[in-house]
Amino acid sequence: MSAEPAVEVTDLVVHHGTTAALRGVSLQVLPGEVLALLGPSGSGKSTLLHAVAGFLEPTSGVVRLGGRTVSGAGRPVPPERRDLAVVFQNYALWPHLTALDTVAYPARRRGESRAQARAEGRALLGRLHVAHLADRRPAELSGGEQQRVGLARALARRPAVYLFDEPTAHLDTHVRGVFLEELASRRRESGAAAVYATHDAEEALGLADRVALLDAGRLVQVGTPEQVYAQPVDAFAARLTGPASVIDAPDGSGELLVRLGWARLGGPLEGKVRGSWFRGPHTDHLVDTPLGELLIRESGGACRPVGERIRWTLLHGWSLPGHDGRG
Amino acid sequence: MSRVGRPAGARTGTAVAAVVLLAVLVGYPLLRLALVAADEWPGVRPAGLGEALRNTVVLAGAVTLAAVPVGVALALVLRRPDLPGRALWQAAVLLPLLVPDFVLGYSWTQAYARAGFTDTLLGVHWAGLLGPAGVWLVLVVNAAPLAYLVVAVALAARAEPDLERAARISGAGAATTAVTVTVRLALPAVAAAGVLVFVLTLGSFAIPQVLGAPAGFRTVTTQIYADLSLGGDPTSFVRAVTLAVVLVLVTAACTAPADVLLAPRLRSQRPADARPAAALPARPAVLRGQTLALGGYAGLTAGLPLAALLLASITRAVGVPPTPGNWALDHFRTVLTPRTAEALGRSLALALVAATLLVLLGGLVAVAERRRAGRTAATLTTLTLVLPGSTLAVGLLLAYGRWLSGTLTLILLAYLAKLWAVAHRPIAGALDRFPPDELRAARVSGAGALTAVRTVALPPLAPALLGAWLLCFLTALHEVTMSSLLYGPGSETLAVVVLNSQELGRIGPTAALSVVLTVLVALPAGLLWWASRRWSAPAREVPAGVG
Repeated sequence: MSAEPAVEVTDLVVHHGTTAALRGVSLQVLPGEVLALLGPSGSGKSTLLHAVAGFLEPTSGVVRLGGRTVSGAGRPVPPERRDLAVVFQNYALWPHLTALDTVAYPARRRGESRAQARAEGRALLGRLHVAHLADRRPAELSGGEQQRVGLARALARRPAVYLFDEPTAHLDTHVRGVFLEELASRRRESGAAAVYATHDAEEALGLADRVALLDAGRLVQVGTPEQVYAQPVDAFAARLTGPASVIDAPDGSGELLVRLGWARLGGPLEGKVRGSWFRGPHTDHLVDTPLGELLIRESGGACRPVGERIRWTLLHGWSLPGHDGRG
Repeated sequence: MSRVGRPAGARTGTAVAAVVLLAVLVGYPLLRLALVAADEWPGVRPAGLGEALRNTVVLAGAVTLAAVPVGVALALVLRRPDLPGRALWQAAVLLPLLVPDFVLGYSWTQAYARAGFTDTLLGVHWAGLLGPAGVWLVLVVNAAPLAYLVVAVALAARAEPDLERAARISGAGAATTAVTVTVRLALPAVAAAGVLVFVLTLGSFAIPQVLGAPAGFRTVTTQIYADLSLGGDPTSFVRAVTLAVVLVLVTAACTAPADVLLAPRLRSQRPADARPAAALPARPAVLRGQTLALGGYAGLTAGLPLAALLLASITRAVGVPPTPGNWALDHFRTVLTPRTAEALGRSLALALVAATLLVLLGGLVAVAERRRAGRTAATLTTLTLVLPGSTLAVGLLLAYGRWLSGTLTLILLAYLAKLWAVAHRPIAGALDRFPPDELRAARVSGAGALTAVRTVALPPLAPALLGAWLLCFLTALHEVTMSSLLYGPGSETLAVVVLNSQELGRIGPTAALSVVLTVLVALPAGLLWWASRRWSAPAREVPAGVG
């Protein structure tokens, strides 16, 4: 396993015309690691991936892949020599090629014979359970099938780093399994890594080893999924990673972040129901409390009338940094 | 299915009116042509028929084989948004489209032929310019911008940036990506450009006339012209009619299968937008090389010839070096006679009336085809697009010559027949993009049918109508293929005066007239192009793939 980070960007700045899409981002992805880039649309996720892939030239900053500087010093290395694969937002399947020829394309570019490239492509399509679609063109494939072909093409590239540019649909369990398995086996030999851009918190938290939060071209926080979920650096980071309420700390020490499930009904504190929504396995109650508005999730349960007085307990809270103390 | 709008009767009425007008303008003349040809067919077999036909077909094939690759190369280079001076290069490459065919051909003789610009200055000239090779090359230069436009539009619509990025990231270099993905995606458009260039070359007249006729190289169109305007004997008349029929048959034989094969493949998968593809970064050396090649191409094909033409128009005499000391406006004074002024007035009036009527005719078919009854009219109109001007002119002469021979009315009818489809396409396109719900919303808000059209439909359609009008106006202004066959004493258009002047060998005056004609056509067209770019500029600046 290589000691160098698979991807390392330093002080990356990208301007689109007069607007800054990235304002100084520094980030490392270790070999074998899956890093999720989480941010709202327009936060710079795609721009960051495009800079890493070589689809655009950063205004300033350095991009290094496996210790090799590919952008920032001297002539930039073109995309085809960066040893990357990209799964595109809308999969970017070539309308004139069949699924098989699409997946064989990277091997053909490596110089393999048509027969060999196709044999490998067939095997990859098989691993993703779409071998029967080998002769179809993109127009004849569903969204999910296109995703599998797009991922198969990326796998066929056998790169050091996979980039996922906000795939429109979630990776389903099987596809995700094949991909992570591939990553693990490649990790043993060469240290493949992946960067997965998404605006979906649940997907990012469930897939990644580490999560990087992006907002308006800046990194807000980088950490394990548990860290960014339970200990967000500010209210923006908190809202990005899942539903939460911000209330005054009972001891008056500042603002407190309370996730769903960190408070329960019944107990010493008072409140009044503002709204109540039945969601199947659980019910969410929005409660007016002296400390502020709080969303409490009750397992099972039923809707409560607006205005009903209830009591509740605070199980856990996270003091947002910038304020005194920690919960 | 009933639409908010006019009653069905009025709709059917427009369709019927369109079909009747088409029959008068195109159907009957072609029928007369066929009847006369059939009448004469078994009798005389005039000489020179096969040669003209062979020349035309070989020429059209050779022009297509060269112009399409040039157009593809131009489209690939010019789509890079980071190309230095991109807008300027686009204008330079499209320049031959703004210059009347005749003027382009004539300007080449002023630049590269004996006693031309390069001959006077460097003592080098190209003897082959007057002859098949020269006709071929100038037709290639003339057609390449058209091929470029067709391919560029297809690339903008089909070659999404991600498809090329996917190829690059899969290990393909820039050249491999262009071949395996970019051009491959535009292949139907490339083929369509080929058919278009082939058909237009079959019917092209001015350039073969200026460069080929002096060397005895005859094509179908120039042979028809020679037979009708010079030869007065019955054999040449029969030959002209026969050639007119053969020309339309060859054209139809080429376009019909191409239309069947290509039409389904040309339907865009997503609407074309004006945004240039966010290109991958290119090496500065490559960009410099491309800029240099573009500069050389635009300079040699259009820049130098047009400059030589301008110099010839202001240089006192043929043979003297075109230096400021020898400059004078004598030629302009010579040509600006009352006769020229009258011809100019006629050309302007004809173009004005033709363009206005054509927008009405185009609109008529565009509205009619919204119903099933009108689709036939639309299909027939589109078919006239490939009718060679020479054929139309001979047909009209046979059909209405008895009453209208040599009148401006006959020339006007020819313009209407030839350009109807040209006016119809942009209007129908704009109407297709116009959401019908907007008209319905106006009606339920209380507007009557006419008020709804005036307040809701016309404003968004205005640019298309204006564009169609200008396109017809400018084309009519320099039309020479049909005018030169149909004019008579007192109905010469400016383009005919220029052609006659060239045939008389008056170099300085012809150059001066060419400059006048070019300014007349290119100036409004250039202004229009500039204005359209300015209007659409904000949309262009949004970079693709942000977020």
